[in-house]
Amino acid sequence: MLKSGPAKKVSIYVGEDHQYHGQSLYAAILDFLFYRGISGASVVRGIAGFGADHHMHTMRIERLTENLPIKIEFVESAEKVEELLPKLRQLAGTGLIEVQDTLVVKPSEESAEHAAKEAAAVSLKSEGKAKLMRIFIGENDKWHEKPLHKALVEAMRANDIAGVTVYQGILGYGANRRIHKEGALHLSHDRPIMLSVVDDEAKLRAFFPMLDGMVQQGLVVLSDVDVIKYTHDYAGEERRKKARP
Amino acid sequence: MKLGLAKMLRIHFGEDDKWKDTPLYRAIVEKCRELDIAGATVFRGIEGYGASTLIRKPHHLLSFSHDAPVMVSVVDSDEKIKKLLPHLDEMVAEGLIAISEVEVIKYVHQNGVRS
Repeated sequence: MLKSGPAKKVSIYVGEDHQYHGQSLYAAILDFLFYRGISGASVVRGIAGFGADHHMHTMRIERLTENLPIKIEFVESAEKVEELLPKLRQLAGTGLIEVQDTLVVKPSEESAEHAAKEAAAVSLKSEGKAKLMRIFIGENDKWHEKPLHKALVEAMRANDIAGVTVYQGILGYGANRRIHKEGALHLSHDRPIMLSVVDDEAKLRAFFPMLDGMVQQGLVVLSDVDVIKYTHDYAGEERRKKARP
Repeated sequence: MKLGLAKMLRIHFGEDDKWKDTPLYRAIVEKCRELDIAGATVFRGIEGYGASTLIRKPHHLLSFSHDAPVMVSVVDSDEKIKKLLPHLDEMVAEGLIAISEVEVIKYVHQNGVRS
């Protein structure tokens, strides 16, 4: 969070048409600043200008928008700027980067609502060891007339397993050596399916007998995972709703 | 493949990567079958980036346009996986290969357990 006092103001000049790995360069720089926790940044588009190549960029002539100059500007502490500069240098390519001393008289503030939301989210993070179970089956495998993957998800819900995700593959083969693949227009129903389940080992092991009865062909593997969990805070949400009628 | 400890290999690359004019993911699955590896599954992602840091995504609604990220997941014994690795080295020009330890708790087909 930016505080009042001395700080640095950084301006980066690039062309609107400049690209960085298939994305417009200024958007890539803005994304970089956003995800590196910069307090704020602005992008302004110039209406005309020229740079090191002495080529005039303007929208006066018929070629409507021709690589107009773009300026990305942000204010941060000296340390943070120092930390980001190497990557910015690389991102900016042929563009110009300027750093000037500035004085923050009043930092911008987060809205109270947003700050409360952040605080609630952080408090719900929990970490620990768990097991990841992956089940490989086919899309047209059935269990009691029902698609097996659907039945498995229902069975897991009924057994209070924390969560499961079903993935659809595009090609594969397994125990029966038969190739499973999607047909033209994705209409085939013989694609490989993988279910990924995370919970404590005891919970998963208790589910094995059930699983054994349901999976007639396929592969089930287990591996260790570290869980970093973010859960929805139902209790906290209720409290906040009551506090704000 | 026996029950118990085994290795899981995951290979990440792009959907339009090729090996000798066939899609790389298909070539890898064929190679796995040729080496009698227990199983391989190909998944298509919806967005991602990798070694080249290029954002890969299928931009077309009907996903006819390519270059979505692709992941091939292979499970077999350590020994079998080691046999596959030199081939992958040759085939995967750009991408990521990761190995992890897994415990196989079930591996069956309709006529009973294979080993």
